[in-house]
Amino acid sequence: MQIVVDHLSCVYSEKTPFEKRALDDVSFCIEAGQSVGIVGCTGSGKSTLIQHLNGLIKLKSGKVTVLDIDLSAKKPDYKALRRGIGMLFQYPEYQLFADTVAADVKFGPQNFGMSKEEAEEAAREAITLVGLDYDVIKERSPLDLSGGQKRRVAIAGVLAYRPKILILDEPTAGLDPAGKREMLTLIDSLKQSFVETVITVSHNMDEIAEFCQRVLVLGGGKLLYDTTPEELFYHHDVESLGLSLPHAVRVVKTLESRGFSIPHALTEKDLTQALLTHLGGKAHA
Amino acid sequence: MRDVAFGQYYPSGSFIHKLDPRTKLIASVVYIVAIFLCTNYYSYLACFVFLATMVLVSRITIKSVLKTVKGVLFIVLITVIINVLFYSDGNLLFGWWIVRITDAGLIFASKMAMRLIFLVIATSLVTLTTTPMNLTDGLENLMTPLKYIKFPVHDVAIIMSIALRFIPSFIEEIDKIMMAQKARGAAFDNGGLIKRAKALLPVLIPLFVSAFRRADELAMALDARCYNATDKRTKMKKLTLTWRDAVAAIVTAVFLTAVILLRLGLFGLLNGVL
Ligand SMILES: Nc1ncnc2c1ncn2[C@@H]1O[C@H](COP(=O)(O)OP(=O)(O)OP(=O)(O)O)[C@@H](O)[C@H]1O
Ligand SMILES: [Mg+2]
Repeated sequence: MQIVVDHLSCVYSEKTPFEKRALDDVSFCIEAGQSVGIVGCTGSGKSTLIQHLNGLIKLKSGKVTVLDIDLSAKKPDYKALRRGIGMLFQYPEYQLFADTVAADVKFGPQNFGMSKEEAEEAAREAITLVGLDYDVIKERSPLDLSGGQKRRVAIAGVLAYRPKILILDEPTAGLDPAGKREMLTLIDSLKQSFVETVITVSHNMDEIAEFCQRVLVLGGGKLLYDTTPEELFYHHDVESLGLSLPHAVRVVKTLESRGFSIPHALTEKDLTQALLTHLGGKAHA
Repeated sequence: MRDVAFGQYYPSGSFIHKLDPRTKLIASVVYIVAIFLCTNYYSYLACFVFLATMVLVSRITIKSVLKTVKGVLFIVLITVIINVLFYSDGNLLFGWWIVRITDAGLIFASKMAMRLIFLVIATSLVTLTTTPMNLTDGLENLMTPLKYIKFPVHDVAIIMSIALRFIPSFIEEIDKIMMAQKARGAAFDNGGLIKRAKALLPVLIPLFVSAFRRADELAMALDARCYNATDKRTKMKKLTLTWRDAVAAIVTAVFLTAVILLRLGLFGLLNGVL
């Protein structure tokens, strides 16, 4: 088990007029190799949950164990923990700070004790991995890049220390459709080759349906469902939670209500396939 | 980090919260004057009692009040240390090189410390019990006479309210950036002073970048909504004085009189003691 969360609760500004229960008795486990999505309407506690996973919020009640590090211990080894979990925040491009791209990407590796040469090597690898040319971009100021490039550099800054688990908070927010696609393909390819486990927070159900094998649904700080996308979108009422349905699911449901019976597709590709089969045509893969 | 936001509005709906901001501002100025009129311990006691009463009436937790003191503790300590070490009047208790610790020095330092602490608590009590909007409204109103000397009262007020409005946003922003850098292994709480200051760089730079971006956006938004295109603006909420303000004014006047009397030593029976 890579991540074990046991009866985790979190209350912000406790005992003040601003008191807010952000997480309420949440329990789940995540095994190595999974690709997990976290969804929930705004304010449901998604960010709070993932910030607990690498000890950015101090654990007050419940138990969290990540990569065999017990966060309820008196002095957890935060350095080892954070090296093992790469975490990309919402709008990560606003956190770039160094005067060159290379220096920014090397920040993480150097904090985690890599030597200059190792960090340089890691930065080169990470920047290449996110699809940028290291030699072209390394001396440029991160502030002069385009939005999409900035975000890639920010991701490279996390990948550079080779985390086992990658946590992404709304990685596609604010990107144009092409940028979104690229980002998703990148994350998917990372999942295949570079990191073991990917946890993605997203408001975009199409992304969740396409890229996650498992979905955690949060609502008002509680874990409402822990299931597969197929199960969630076809057998639970997600719309009452303020979430939308993936496009493919909406089409299938509409067709079903008109009396057609077609397989439960989650992505456009599956849907096309299913429709073609239904129509008796041949699909070209 | 958000908890560090000392002096931020703390709603409890108390008597003091409901006072007109102008009353609170004037009362706090009176209080500050009173603090500097204090000479003997009895007058300090009066200041303390007045302040403690206000804190109790405002129903703000002692914790959040003390937090505001924590913010200036460093300054208080420095003041005390300098005064204790270098105050030269009074009987010498301990002397070494240029250091002279005297009994008068100790007394003076303790009074200084009390003044500073009272001052901080009193001013933060105003911001704790008044919303930023109300506060600037009150200030603008009080500064109206300055218009006659061509002082841009309204502009200053709007600058202040924008500044106050953005404090929580920046605290939130700092919080977020710090978390992001911590996730990349940055450590903010170990090492010496220089190392710590250096560690703040990855937080300060994104913060400034975002502050400038926000300022730009805000200016654009103000322009887009024709801010200042008309010369006379009216208020949605007019400030009005109520019986509460009368009560507050009387209490403050009584307090000020007491401090003045104590200073002049007119309470004859105290004279012998002091
Ligand atoms: N530092 C904080 N102090 C006080 N309250 C907070 C803090 N951070 C979050 N909250 C509150 O806790 C609740 C959960 O917030 P959280 O950021 O985890 O939501 P979220 O699911 O990530 O939402 P979004 O989709 O908008 O990012 C919200 O009601 C929020 O107002
Ligand atoms: Mg969030």
